[in-house]
Amino acid sequence: MSHLNVIVSAIADVAEGIRHFTLVDAAGRELPGFSGGSHVVVSMRAGARTYRNAYSLLSPPSDRSNYQIAVRLQENSRGGSRFMHEQVQVGTALEIAWPVNLFAISRVGRKHILVAGGIGITPFMSQAHDLLRTGANFELHYAFRSPRHAAFVDELRRLLGPRLKCYDQSQGQLLDPAALLSHQPLGTHVYVCGPGGMVDAVLDTAARLGWPDAHVHHEEFLAPPVGEPFAIRLAQSQRVVEVGAEESMLEAMEAAGVDVPYLCRGGACGRCELEVLATDGVLEHHDHYLSEDERRAGNKIMPCVSRAKCTFIELNL
Amino acid sequence: MQHGYWIRSKPVYTSLAWQYRAQAHMVLAHGEAGRAVLRLYQQRLPEQPVSVLYLVGDEEADYTASLRALAGDCLLTFTKQEALWAAFNAALASACMGTRLYAAGNEAFLWQVSTLAASHGVLHADIMREQPASLARPVYCVHCKTITPHVTTNIAVCSGCQRHLFVRDHFSRRLGAYMGLMVDAEAPGEVPAAEEIYP
Repeated sequence: MSHLNVIVSAIADVAEGIRHFTLVDAAGRELPGFSGGSHVVVSMRAGARTYRNAYSLLSPPSDRSNYQIAVRLQENSRGGSRFMHEQVQVGTALEIAWPVNLFAISRVGRKHILVAGGIGITPFMSQAHDLLRTGANFELHYAFRSPRHAAFVDELRRLLGPRLKCYDQSQGQLLDPAALLSHQPLGTHVYVCGPGGMVDAVLDTAARLGWPDAHVHHEEFLAPPVGEPFAIRLAQSQRVVEVGAEESMLEAMEAAGVDVPYLCRGGACGRCELEVLATDGVLEHHDHYLSEDERRAGNKIMPCVSRAKCTFIELNL
Repeated sequence: MQHGYWIRSKPVYTSLAWQYRAQAHMVLAHGEAGRAVLRLYQQRLPEQPVSVLYLVGDEEADYTASLRALAGDCLLTFTKQEALWAAFNAALASACMGTRLYAAGNEAFLWQVSTLAASHGVLHADIMREQPASLARPVYCVHCKTITPHVTTNIAVCSGCQRHLFVRDHFSRRLGAYMGLMVDAEAPGEVPAAEEIYP
């Protein structure tokens, strides 16, 4: 897969546990253009392992001199966010994939409600620039634990003025999805990015109020959960790949040199879907791409976040 | 003519059914398609407010009395298209997300509903459509750009330029019409006999 070579040109701590990185092209060229809501996958070589995590681009899409990402140190980091926080310094060279957008603003929407929780503010940074540029009707609702956790809030206030509404949980200010979604004009779209509970609350409320699915957008990149070790049998190449407890199926296959397609690595896009031919256990689906019917059929898996409780799983690869 | 032939642009219609997760319901129907609304009222009624906008057809069956009996004050009837579209436009302007839209009528009517709703940010997929009566097609002449309404045959004379048009399954949601191409462009005068296949 083609990638871009970048160098970290600046690092700043923007909130508790959230570090902001500025990336420039290693050869000093302009970086590829992107649209609001795009992310890049950053490859991190940590000893024998390579971590690849998706991070939203924060910078104005019109500025191609650099990319900006923000990384929250995950409490139970598998290594990626810890690597970014502890190993990466100004001058560190990184490999990133080209920007991809799985969270674009609907061009036919009449009004846009953006809902962010904590680090979920990141995709809305570039979207806000795009929405301001096009003169769209929009509001950003930003919920955070406390002012210390409110990354970019001053910048957003300057940029958005009254379009920004903040909910400081430490002051008991809670975002009520039903109040937010029950009186919106026809043609409104809602976009949510944040903790799982918040995403679910917005999606459930929208469905209950009769919002058509095509008006409801969310982005939630998942980290692959820890499980038990098992083996992957590759039917076409007649190979066996061992999956460790703390690595994903995708990572294990990549480490073994198997060429596997992927895009978001967070269970959202569906690009890495593989066909399951057999297993002696049960599939543990963690993605939010496959439908209930597809899960029941049991012949597809998203190796980026899903795994199996078994001794072996056979894939058509 | 094109039996068993599938083309992505050709719309697929369903039977109207209440969408119970909603904040309000708006139903539009034209002439004979009022029957689809009667069928809708045979289903368990939703708890949210309902409004029915009914355009009385000129020569088609008039379901006003039956609809009045079921929908009562929720029914608004219109005898002129312009009045219906003005009322629908005003209703869309004040409607909230969660207002479910239902339309029943011929294809010209269904796509006028969709086009007007789209001007308020309603996506085509957000509207439930039923075509219970005539299969007649509005046909867009690719030569003179005229739309000939209510074409029931596979070959029809364009009301704008008088060319004989072959009616294709290729449908434009923007125009709300099927594509019509000159049938005798290669061999002028050789026009096959027209068959009524969209009665």
